[in-house]
Amino acid sequence: MDYASAEMAEGTEQSGDGLAKAIDPTQLGPAAPSPAPFATPTVFKIENLTAYYGKAPAVRDVSFDVPGNQVTAIIGPSGCGKSTFIRCLNRMNDVVPGFHTDGSIYFHGIDLQGKDVDPVNVRRQIGMVFQRPNPFPKSIFDNIAYGLRILGMKDNLQDRVEHALKRAALWEEVKDRLKDSALALSGGQQQRLCIARAIAIEPEVILLDEPASALDPISTASIEDLMHELKNDYTIVIVTHNMQQAARVADMTAFFSLSEVVDGRRAGVLVEYDRTDKIFTTPADKRTEDYVTGRFG
Amino acid sequence: MPMRIPLQQDLDTLQATLMEEGDLCARAIRGALQALRERDPELADEVITFDDEVDSRYLSIEVAVESLLARQTPVASDLRLVLSIIHINLALERIADLCVTIAKLTKLVYAVPPDTKLIEAFDEMAVRGEEMLKHSLDAFMNRDVAAAESLVDLDELIDRANRRAVHHLMALGSNPEMREWGLRMIIVSRCLERIGDHCVDIGEQVAYLVTGEFREFTDASAELRG
Repeated sequence: MDYASAEMAEGTEQSGDGLAKAIDPTQLGPAAPSPAPFATPTVFKIENLTAYYGKAPAVRDVSFDVPGNQVTAIIGPSGCGKSTFIRCLNRMNDVVPGFHTDGSIYFHGIDLQGKDVDPVNVRRQIGMVFQRPNPFPKSIFDNIAYGLRILGMKDNLQDRVEHALKRAALWEEVKDRLKDSALALSGGQQQRLCIARAIAIEPEVILLDEPASALDPISTASIEDLMHELKNDYTIVIVTHNMQQAARVADMTAFFSLSEVVDGRRAGVLVEYDRTDKIFTTPADKRTEDYVTGRFG
Repeated sequence: MPMRIPLQQDLDTLQATLMEEGDLCARAIRGALQALRERDPELADEVITFDDEVDSRYLSIEVAVESLLARQTPVASDLRLVLSIIHINLALERIADLCVTIAKLTKLVYAVPPDTKLIEAFDEMAVRGEEMLKHSLDAFMNRDVAAAESLVDLDELIDRANRRAVHHLMALGSNPEMREWGLRMIIVSRCLERIGDHCVDIGEQVAYLVTGEFREFTDASAELRG
């Protein structure tokens, strides 16, 4: 699968009957990681993750825990591996030739990169929304229904579509024109449609890779409000270039930056991970301070 | 390469204006005490008028902070600096107001021959208050938490002088004229004591600016709890 089709799939790919191995937290994998110091349980435990494109590491030795039902923001300068990292969380990088990783990402204690884990099921539970809204060239209704149908979630299709659109705060705007083309929607509406599409298949986690960078301020505000609302039911990880957006929406923030040159190469590294208010008031690392105050470079 | 030049310029200007306001406050303390000591109602009027100078710096800092927050969205140490400037600005404005109060009281009692011993005590308190003001603003500019914390000890000296002054006033006797003078001087003593407290507040802002921790240097309620 190439990049484009991977993006189009957004975790709704057909796995084939009997081929997918469901991720059951009660089975498989190493012992569950020790509880993280959060009010909510840890969903991802990332341990010494290094991600390579060929021989070149894009991110190096990243370790931290992502708490459930919270918004975790990944911030950092261009080229520090934010998108590479977030794509590791639902194995979206599998489609990239030469991509491989060291270290582990545990999802409820199960190593996501384990041999027994089917990436299709990973993406079923860990959905993704991309920078540019990418609705299918179909009706609004079918954009949501498509993934449900191929995953066999055909019962109460109408209700499921309506529920997803309501959860994505789009229902009131489109309920009278569900048969219209999704491409006729505004950019902000299209992005909320993509979020509705991700929600419809009932994932546990939603990954958002710069979801508002192509949107105007009003649409951006509606996406941010939506994140605030959705975290009650989902775990959200967002990559953003917009630091104020991270400050507004995230409970936890991870700051990535570029390492010193090692073996002639620089790679993305996790500099600091803490509560968002801490990162934006009293960051512990000088590099974080320089970046969030805009004095980086 | 320096980045965010407009933000840095705004922060530099804010700090410079704050230091200017601090210098004006020190002059107000000196003027108020001189008017009291020399029983000079005209100088007292000058001190009262001079408060407009402090107020204009206070307002210009308020306006500049409002604009900076709206336009530059400071975070981390920049945010802490702006928040501490807001607090220190308020403390300085209040110090100047206390000097105005002393000047107004001076005008009410200048015809009464003062108690020399008490005036000497007020002089000492004012000198210490001015030292504390300078010390607190130096600590702010140098981001020096240890210097800021030492303000508590300096404040204790003013507090003691205040207590001594009150005792002395109680012993002034029952002459109605002196009693009225004494009541007004208790307020003067209280004003000088409050100047020391505001300087300690400035010191607490220095500690917040450097460490990010909100804390009072002395906790009266904790002392009560034992």
